[in-house]
Amino acid sequence: MSTDVMAFIRRKFLEYYSENSEKIPMPTSLPNREFGFVIFRERMMVRHKGFINGAEVKAFLKSMTPMDAYYSSAYYERPEEHMENKGWLGADLIFDIDSDHLQTPCKSEHDYWICESCQNSGRGQQPELCRKCGGSKFKNEAWLCETCLEAAKAETQKLLSFLQEDFGFLPQDIEICFSGHRGYHVHVENEDVRQLDQVARKEIVDYVLGTGLKVEFHGLMEVGKSKIVEGPNLFDPSWNGRIAKGVYDFLKTSTPQQIEEIEGIKSNKSKKAMEHRDLILKSWNKKARWGALKDVSFRTWVKLAEYGLKKQTSFIDTVVTTDIHRLIRAPFTLHGKTGLKAVSISLEHLKQFDPFVEAIAFSKGTLKVNVNESHKFRLGNEVFGPYRQETIELPMAAAMYLLCKKAASPVE
Amino acid sequence: MLVARGDSPKYPFTKDAKEYIDQCNVSVEELATIEYAQIIDRAEQRIEEALINGSVRYESSLPDVEVLSFPVAIILVASIGDDFLKRRYALAEAIRAENLLKDENNDKLMRIIESYFSWRIKKVSIAQNQPYEYCLSFIDYIKNASVFHEDEWKLVNKMVIGGYVFLRKNDVARLAREEIQKYIQETVEKTPKLDLPKLLNQRIERINQILTKRKESFKMDELPKTAIIAAYPPCIKKLYDSLLIGQHISHIGRFSLTSFLLAIGINTEDLLKMYTSISDFSESLTRYQIEHIAGKKGAGTSYKPPNCSTLRTHGLCLKPDELCKGIRHPLTYYRRKIGKIGMTKDE
Ligand SMILES: [Zn+2]
Ligand SMILES: [Zn+2]
Repeated sequence: MSTDVMAFIRRKFLEYYSENSEKIPMPTSLPNREFGFVIFRERMMVRHKGFINGAEVKAFLKSMTPMDAYYSSAYYERPEEHMENKGWLGADLIFDIDSDHLQTPCKSEHDYWICESCQNSGRGQQPELCRKCGGSKFKNEAWLCETCLEAAKAETQKLLSFLQEDFGFLPQDIEICFSGHRGYHVHVENEDVRQLDQVARKEIVDYVLGTGLKVEFHGLMEVGKSKIVEGPNLFDPSWNGRIAKGVYDFLKTSTPQQIEEIEGIKSNKSKKAMEHRDLILKSWNKKARWGALKDVSFRTWVKLAEYGLKKQTSFIDTVVTTDIHRLIRAPFTLHGKTGLKAVSISLEHLKQFDPFVEAIAFSKGTLKVNVNESHKFRLGNEVFGPYRQETIELPMAAAMYLLCKKAASPVE
Repeated sequence: MLVARGDSPKYPFTKDAKEYIDQCNVSVEELATIEYAQIIDRAEQRIEEALINGSVRYESSLPDVEVLSFPVAIILVASIGDDFLKRRYALAEAIRAENLLKDENNDKLMRIIESYFSWRIKKVSIAQNQPYEYCLSFIDYIKNASVFHEDEWKLVNKMVIGGYVFLRKNDVARLAREEIQKYIQETVEKTPKLDLPKLLNQRIERINQILTKRKESFKMDELPKTAIIAAYPPCIKKLYDSLLIGQHISHIGRFSLTSFLLAIGINTEDLLKMYTSISDFSESLTRYQIEHIAGKKGAGTSYKPPNCSTLRTHGLCLKPDELCKGIRHPLTYYRRKIGKIGMTKDE
């Protein structure tokens, strides 16, 4: 990106922080948190910053105007020291759901990679080695995508069911944030979770992702001499209910071919399950009678359950949650890759939340830009593009988005 | 002499027991006198049982001796100051308590747990044909159960509702053992090494002899000095291959590989050569990372490679093979595989 474009973005960011810094909420126990910033000029992360109070943070945002702003999920005695000397006091429990990691069908349309050594580029998943020069280092970029963000939101909603129904966290302990780019963060803040070490947090991760889950511990079993299959019910709590729901949803939405694709299921078995599909779907709403179908074997049920439960998990990032020194994006600060703001969302509002409207930070004015290349995108209630090598006047938010994505430059 | 009351002889680490011990107010000098010989005998026995049987018996015939011998045993263990002994003793006392707790009725178990631990635990009404007697806050649960390796202890295999994990009585006793072990270990660590009266030296000498014998039988086999690639577990082999062909490896993947290779004896310089032979590794950064994991930089603590369960969590456990079954750590795999393929240090 040219220094001119960078300077322009920085000026706009300064404008945002000058007008809005009073509205930016500050984290609890602020003096015990580490802050980190990506600075425009060096494009480097500056870590180990500490502040006494919110006024200091706000003054910093206005004077340094960072590209990105983060604070630690952890609490430290001395947040400015190096990691070994910080004196870890505890950490909030955090979750990151990033649409980059979700298997959405649209990836090949909006994800692209650039080879760092020869600038060769392409769409979709990066290759293992560059086909032109054999290089192995790539930069990945992605456009904002409604489908992907909807998928991330659905994962977030599943996560909330784990947090509230299973773990019993109260709404006031939970904060949801749209990151300003490709996903959602969920913070859980209360006394109980603070002291959990990495090993304990790993248990929470495994629970949410179903890692290491064995269906036999959730009521799916053969009972008695005649080996009648018994299993959990749709409305059972905890993983029991999710397993029943996983099988139910799978049968409801799959073709016989899809069932056969499950490793270890023979085609005659899948036919049997499909023949009785309507019966299963109808009766299960009252009580799941796994054993009612004598010709579907226990093994087949286990395979179906193991397959079906995958969709009941919430696809969280395993590293973020187990990292007890993590920096997370500060809500209501700007995202350097989009010019959108990170916003926190109430639990009740998540369902209706529209990131393309509510995360807009620059809602005033227009800007004339030279667009190199852009996909079609929506911001606010307007749809833009696709553009290719053209000069156009855009609302400020759309223009800023393309500038931050390095797809355009302002016209003098 | 005061008389030890209630459950103190069974659970000498509880508040009641501590109060009783304080009231008795015995000094270290007095311990060597004939009056306390029985207590010293039992204390020595406790340690011996811990070393030989792995658990301590409950001796109900002399309640006072049973209570007072516990702090004395701790003083002896602390004075010997051996880490193996400290761990072993704490574990054996904890197992003793676990076995006693299992035999208590539900109300009593609840009372002991509530008065001693700060756990949030509730009794579950026995209804609807369900097998659970208690539910425990899932936070207290994972703090203690996350070190267990069996599938049935994983949180994901438990019924968890509204922040509580549903448990049976034996599970609660087993979890209590963890908490008790941690507590006793901490107590031993906090107890200062005392100048013990000469008469006790003979006893300490005897414990030391048993200790030396036990330690010998626990010695680990040493690993060969050169890396044997054929013995790498599948997860490490995959990362290693990715490294060699210059594929992208995630941060956690690189950490796992590096810490594994360091643990099997590859030195920092060789590892650095391996990494930098791949063009895009910056030498200084790579050196910093390797030395950090090896413990030369930063805090000075070396990092152990993650265990199988952690590798699974982060999606690095791919295609586990037959030998992986029942193994919890990639290093164990390596050791066993070497045993299997019959390679030795000299090859
Ligand atoms: Zn290339
Ligand atoms: Zn998409």
